[in-house]
Amino acid sequence: MFRQNKKRLSSRRNFDLSADMDSSGIKLENGVHQYVLSGSDAEKEQKLYDSINSTKLYFYEQPPQGEITLEEFETWAIDRLKILQEIQASISRNRSLKDTAAVIKPLLQKLLPSATGGSHSAAEAFAEKKKDYYSHYILRLCFARTKELRESFVRAETLLFKIRFNLLTSTDQAKFVQSLDLPMLQFISDDEKNELAAKLYQAASPVLQFQLNLTDEQQRKAYFARERYIKLPFENVIELIGNRQVFLKDGYAYLPQFQQLNLIASEFANNLNASLMKVFQSLPRMNEDDRLLPILAHLSAGYTMTDFDQADGQYGNNADNEINAESVWSPEISKHYPLSVRHLMEGLKQNHHLRYYGRQQLSLFLKGIGLSADESLKFFTKAFTDGGHMTVEKFNKEYKYNFRHNYGLEGNRINYRPWDCRTILSKPRPGRGDFHGCPFRDFSSEKLTSELQKMGLTPAQITSVLDSCQKGEYTTANTKVFEFTHDSNGTDVEINDQTLIAHPNLYFERSRQLEQKRKEIEDKIKGSS
Amino acid sequence: MSAPSSADMEYYYKQLFPFTDVFYWLNHSREPSKDMANRELAMAFRSGAYKRYNSYSSPEEFKQQIERANPDRFEIGAVYNKPPKERDALLKSEMHPLQKELVFDIDMDDYDPYRTCCEGARVCSRCWRFITLAIEVMAATLREDFGFQDFLWVFSGRRGAHCWVSDRRARMLTDIQRRNVLDYVNVVRDRSGNKRLNLVRPYHPQLTRALEQLKPHFVDIILGDQDPWCKDESAFATLLTGLHDKQLQEALRKHWTENPGRSSQQKWSDIDAFAAAETRSNHLNAARKQEYMNKLKECKEDIVLQALYPKLDVEVTKQTIHLLKSPFCIHPATGNVCVPILDGFEPSNAPKLHQLQQEMQQHNNNVAETSLQPFIGHFEKYIDSVIKHAGEAVAKAEEESSLKRKHDDILA
Repeated sequence: MFRQNKKRLSSRRNFDLSADMDSSGIKLENGVHQYVLSGSDAEKEQKLYDSINSTKLYFYEQPPQGEITLEEFETWAIDRLKILQEIQASISRNRSLKDTAAVIKPLLQKLLPSATGGSHSAAEAFAEKKKDYYSHYILRLCFARTKELRESFVRAETLLFKIRFNLLTSTDQAKFVQSLDLPMLQFISDDEKNELAAKLYQAASPVLQFQLNLTDEQQRKAYFARERYIKLPFENVIELIGNRQVFLKDGYAYLPQFQQLNLIASEFANNLNASLMKVFQSLPRMNEDDRLLPILAHLSAGYTMTDFDQADGQYGNNADNEINAESVWSPEISKHYPLSVRHLMEGLKQNHHLRYYGRQQLSLFLKGIGLSADESLKFFTKAFTDGGHMTVEKFNKEYKYNFRHNYGLEGNRINYRPWDCRTILSKPRPGRGDFHGCPFRDFSSEKLTSELQKMGLTPAQITSVLDSCQKGEYTTANTKVFEFTHDSNGTDVEINDQTLIAHPNLYFERSRQLEQKRKEIEDKIKGSS
Repeated sequence: MSAPSSADMEYYYKQLFPFTDVFYWLNHSREPSKDMANRELAMAFRSGAYKRYNSYSSPEEFKQQIERANPDRFEIGAVYNKPPKERDALLKSEMHPLQKELVFDIDMDDYDPYRTCCEGARVCSRCWRFITLAIEVMAATLREDFGFQDFLWVFSGRRGAHCWVSDRRARMLTDIQRRNVLDYVNVVRDRSGNKRLNLVRPYHPQLTRALEQLKPHFVDIILGDQDPWCKDESAFATLLTGLHDKQLQEALRKHWTENPGRSSQQKWSDIDAFAAAETRSNHLNAARKQEYMNKLKECKEDIVLQALYPKLDVEVTKQTIHLLKSPFCIHPATGNVCVPILDGFEPSNAPKLHQLQQEMQQHNNNVAETSLQPFIGHFEKYIDSVIKHAGEAVAKAEEESSLKRKHDDILA
């Protein structure tokens, strides 16, 4: 609503890696990248690792020192990237930490064995640790460029950190925590705990039940009786405050020891974020080394490929102006819309109006499928004024700016991207008279059922979709709907390729492409007969 | 309703508005400092124009500039690292917000499903009790849970109230932290009231405390005074939907359709009576019956929170840079002064600009003899406390950072 976003957007607007690099003629000095090139010996490096940590987990505070080959540089980075990608997918599917861990563990064994304690000899262990350490640092270089990349990297690495922490034995965990020397890990006395016992238990009980699966009250009470508590300023565990997972008193949060991972993980995330900012600031100095740049650019591009958003900024294929102000209402086009868009179009048709979030979600989607700025204005002018409640003058005065702004024609001139599912889910939930949001989260199950029936799903299919919704896997639910509506007997390999549809525009594009392909095949058959 | 003219506003800024007090309050000190020099103020004009990024480095400049521009109202934003008025000469990336009071906003119309005396923008002394109660619940949370000492509730001029928390810790919160504090405080997210809250049990201690605070008022305000469920449709929409058992819902729906217009009190007791009948007809054994009644009790607790727990306008709180109307502004539509809320306040006792103008004439232009004075007096006492605590907090922060420096030096 306000302008704070500018900084973030300006980097998106102007980013061009090669141009940045060429324009700054600074030579590589003894900066953060020294470790890639300088040649100190492996022994010194081994010492560094030993001194950093004798356990299998790091905060990655000291940059590595040794020398590696370009091939190692690339393959190690790719291996770690595969893990992070899987984590990213889990995040977008809203998987719980436990489920994510189950998915990631086999990958770790294969690609990052030091995380699962798989090594047999000291030499192997060292090599594995080295890979872990280097790959982390290489990816820092790839993902420091923009705010979006940094955020998603920190999110994925922090989750990986949590998973790995949980894989450690409790002795190793304790050793690791000690090695961090965090100042705020002060346990409260038994007296203080007893005094607050009732309230501490009230706050902890749901967490014990849902996170540690202690379904029995006696079990929870016994666990609570043994648990030690850490008292610290609430700002330090802020992400546990929002969902009321800890007890608060006089500005202090009371953190049960089993939750301390949250604290350590947020410390990890903060550190990593700060380091990435430093890398970002020294990126221009990297232009000296023309061997690394292509690899780095390639790596981060590969990562974002899964992110439909950033492919190349080109969305719909609208060469012959098939998509225009009239045709977006037509069944030929609208049958490719995902449910959220159908809902928006329906709301627009009924009310001749959409509130702010609805306007944003719909107009950016339509922009994404190839509706031009002029056509978009034509479309919304007609839709808003058709009901007779609004004059064209009023529309021009109050709304035109908004739609032009979305196309980067006003104000800051940013070419806004269509919202992906994560963005949609992060916006305020729709209230009465709102049509934005995600139907799989926001519809009641009755309403969702009837909508899905209209789309031709069978009762069994509907149950399966509702099931995903209940688990909070909204993008999975959406993907299921896509699969059911495009391939009713589940045999088409191309549809069932496990791609998660986490973007309304991806739904649309895939749906249209499939139709096109089918037509071509049919034409061929006709032609040959 | 008497909307003030622009001449009225000019008079108000010249004669009545407590610029010095507001300046000290936002400055957290009586010595002009960055907390005010780098503070954004935005002015809204009659024409609909809105001018952001103004800043003033002294009370005199503050008064002079506002008087000259004569806006309808002005709003308070964040403290930045540079004076906002120099913004045009700076790169955008050079300016970022450092702090602002933590703010909350409650609007009366969010209580519409539960009030019958007024609706929309209208308020009266009866429905103002919702706000008074919300202020009590919020006060307990801010004081006991977060340990905040200095917060002020201000009448928004028509139908709501703004809360300004001036503790240093509150001011320094980042956006993510603000969002989490908000989520902690904000329990009822859905405004229509037609979805079960279904909060986890046991309640977090914060909710237990809120429930204890609200229960007596539920009987008094909801079941008694407002009686929202006397209208059958609204009972179907916001009372029945809070129950866990479909069969029970249907039985009650039938009963209320056949006997329309039963009062909220009667309907509330109907729930218990029908639930008892439900357990009998389903031949539940003692344990199952106990479970059923527990579940019902939980639903009723959730309904109490749903109706009376403070309903916050979330956007205001989320961002450090969000702007909010200054205390002592005049509400452009009603002519009410946005005064701090004292004990026993209700909207009809808010001073009005026209009335203040008359009082000034009667009392020789002596502000101290107008009905604005009690509010200014209260505000000044409050500022004393803010400034005292701010000084202590700054001293403490400096001590900590010098300790840390020493610590680091030793390590190095």
